[in-house]
Amino acid sequence: MLMHVIDMGHDVYKANDKVAEKNRKKLDKHQVFSVNVMGAIGSGKTTLIEEAIRQLKDKYRIAVIAGDVIAEMDSSRFRKLDVPTIPVNTGKECHLDAKLVEKALDEIDLNNTDLLLIENVGNLICPVDFKLGEHLRVVIVSVTEGDDIILKHPMIFKTAELAVINKVDIAHAVDVDAEKMRDDILSLNPKVPVILTSKHDWESLETWISFIELGVKEAQNR
Amino acid sequence: MHEFSIACEIYEQVMATAKEHGATEVKHVTLQMGRLSHTNPEQLNFCFKVLAEESIAKDADFIVEMIPPSLECDCGYTGKVDEKKIRKNCEFESELLAYAAVMECPACGKPAQITGGRELIIKSIEIETEDQD
Repeated sequence: MLMHVIDMGHDVYKANDKVAEKNRKKLDKHQVFSVNVMGAIGSGKTTLIEEAIRQLKDKYRIAVIAGDVIAEMDSSRFRKLDVPTIPVNTGKECHLDAKLVEKALDEIDLNNTDLLLIENVGNLICPVDFKLGEHLRVVIVSVTEGDDIILKHPMIFKTAELAVINKVDIAHAVDVDAEKMRDDILSLNPKVPVILTSKHDWESLETWISFIELGVKEAQNR
Repeated sequence: MHEFSIACEIYEQVMATAKEHGATEVKHVTLQMGRLSHTNPEQLNFCFKVLAEESIAKDADFIVEMIPPSLECDCGYTGKVDEKKIRKNCEFESELLAYAAVMECPACGKPAQITGGRELIIKSIEIETEDQD
């Protein structure tokens, strides 16, 4: 019997990053702006995406990738708004990865898409480690998750490019200080824009939507 | 919990390399894991064992080397985080949080960009092969 040590140097996450880069190049080629919407279960990801679709669909061509353990439920909500939607069932998995998105991109007519909204699986942990090729990483957190939720999940807030604190209209009812949540996010990631939203406050939704629209415009001028 | 899919990837890579080198048994799998990656070494090892149950890697031991986070700052600093500061912050129960809280540049004190510490690398495997005559 002989013993050998074989060097491998295979980075599991880098393998995902490489596919993500490929996705990004494909999206860039078609001047599509893509948003990875992350957040816990019930934080309001689907609702905020719906609002963005409603306000932007007359101006831009929108497609959606809806990732979930059972993706059909959210997908049917998006389809009601008349946008092409690709459900991605992750089965037992807790996040979307670049390979799943690569496959979904094959089903989207990118020549006729300006904005791709990707709803990730409801989870504040696993999606952090898996880039998809997106242009904007958004994390949505709601006041109902408690105002200590941010410091318990530092990495998702550290790596986000936009943070949304949602359902602020009921903060008082659940005894949560939304401003503390904002301060916690900024303590982890001082440069990230933080916006406070409520689906009942039109002005707050406008801020969220204008953020996305800015990205779409930039992509079109690239 | 995404350890199972990661364990699948590790298992496939390990078995392919072992086969390529004519292994009769895989003794050790050495991994390098960034301290900021959301991966639990014990869960990963358990998932790997389940996958490898009937293979030449069924008795393989996992060796996990942890990689500390590295930083890059606007001031020009590149390097590791200040480990002493992490110890000072050890009232935090989570090591991840302790690291996240001190992602400041050790040179100028401003928040720095994380450039490393989220990897999961299959560094090497130790295998047994038949004697060659």
